[in-house]
Amino acid sequence: MVISVGGAPVGGEPSAARTARGGPARSRRDLLLGLVGPAAVAVAFLPFAAVSRSLRAAEPPADVVFDETYRGRHIRGIRTSAAAAGRVLGDGGWQVTVDGRPLHLMRRADGTWLSMVDHYRSYATPLEAARAAVDELGPGQLRERGPEDMGGHDGGRDGVHA
Amino acid sequence: MGDAMAYTRKDVSTLTAAEKRRFVNALLEVKRRGEYDEFVRMHIEYYVSDGEGGLRTAHMAPSFLPWHRRFLLELERALRRVDSSVTVPYWDWTRDRTTTSAPWTKDLLGGTGRRSDRQVTTGPFAYREGNWTLRENITDEEYLTRDLGRSADPIALPTRSDLERALADPVYDSSPWDSTVGKGFRNKLEGWGSGSGPTAWRNHNRVHRWVGGVMVGGASVNDPVFWMHHAFVDLCWSRWQRRHREHRYLPAKPPAAGSSQYRRIVARHEKLPPWDVTPDELEDHGRIYRYA
Repeated sequence: MVISVGGAPVGGEPSAARTARGGPARSRRDLLLGLVGPAAVAVAFLPFAAVSRSLRAAEPPADVVFDETYRGRHIRGIRTSAAAAGRVLGDGGWQVTVDGRPLHLMRRADGTWLSMVDHYRSYATPLEAARAAVDELGPGQLRERGPEDMGGHDGGRDGVHA
Repeated sequence: MGDAMAYTRKDVSTLTAAEKRRFVNALLEVKRRGEYDEFVRMHIEYYVSDGEGGLRTAHMAPSFLPWHRRFLLELERALRRVDSSVTVPYWDWTRDRTTTSAPWTKDLLGGTGRRSDRQVTTGPFAYREGNWTLRENITDEEYLTRDLGRSADPIALPTRSDLERALADPVYDSSPWDSTVGKGFRNKLEGWGSGSGPTAWRNHNRVHRWVGGVMVGGASVNDPVFWMHHAFVDLCWSRWQRRHREHRYLPAKPPAAGSSQYRRIVARHEKLPPWDVTPDELEDHGRIYRYA
């Protein structure tokens, strides 16, 4: 018997698995921005207005990079000035929303972007990724808190992801 | 290599009416028990992109193939707890290429979504049947969605020659072991390309795109075709192994400290989270199952 079909049941203790594998779950962006505590988690879950407010209060401020209506949907992207200065990695400090609801973006090693809605190819910019997500959404609305926020690989806990 | 205990995974186009019914019923029961949604959550959790920190296991990494092999075994084990005659059939998308061929029939997965909201309205997984409500999803929609062939801007499924270009590469994977690598069987099959043209998706990724709806998003496991698709991807790995017997899973050893991939990928003899198993231990499935 080469393959063990036993072992940890699916969905068993993913948190324990993450803990066991050690440090790499926390991104360099966290370390650079000092986003390692509960405050970072709170920021990740706040709606846009509150995020903007708290970022203003704490520095660095957030800049609206795009804000447009695309195929009837309101898409908006903001990022911190630290991101604009190239001092962050990972998601680059982006907070992207569709009709006010957060669109989770991921970064590829080639610098391109993919979203939770369109997960099997990537786009040159967060704006293109947001438009592509709208193309795929149809009449659907993003969940206020997607599954990735409810104990995702590292997004929910550490606020790594926009 | 004994095979007395090995079961057979079949081509989905060859299933009998009884085999289809039992497969569907087992899926519905796993869903009813709440186990299915755990699979959806797990796939979301382990999808870590390569432009971010952290260990990658399921995608954009050498362990794309063993991770999904093990994932399928977990689902298959759940199905077989319900009905021990059931195995996961594979969908050979190089052969069954239309929106009405297997597995898109009313007695199996049902067809494409309706135009207005892409909702699947045919077959046993249609929302109105009441047995397939999506609880873990990226959107508020509780129904299964599909857009077979991407109706607004049609694309084709990968062809036999597309797949052959992956199978012909004798090297399993290459540095930097991520979505940008242009060499190696693994990424040619996983299908990360570049640009926005027809090369943006290849093979595995392109099939997710072709099915559309939930299959192109982070909650792709919600569509049962996920398992048939990955069973075929798994079969392709077996075919590659038979063709290139002197080649194995790479990397054999972990990247050195200081390497950009240090602690970000799983080497041949390292544990593959969330399981207590290594890629080395997952290379030979012959004692568990065979492909017909």
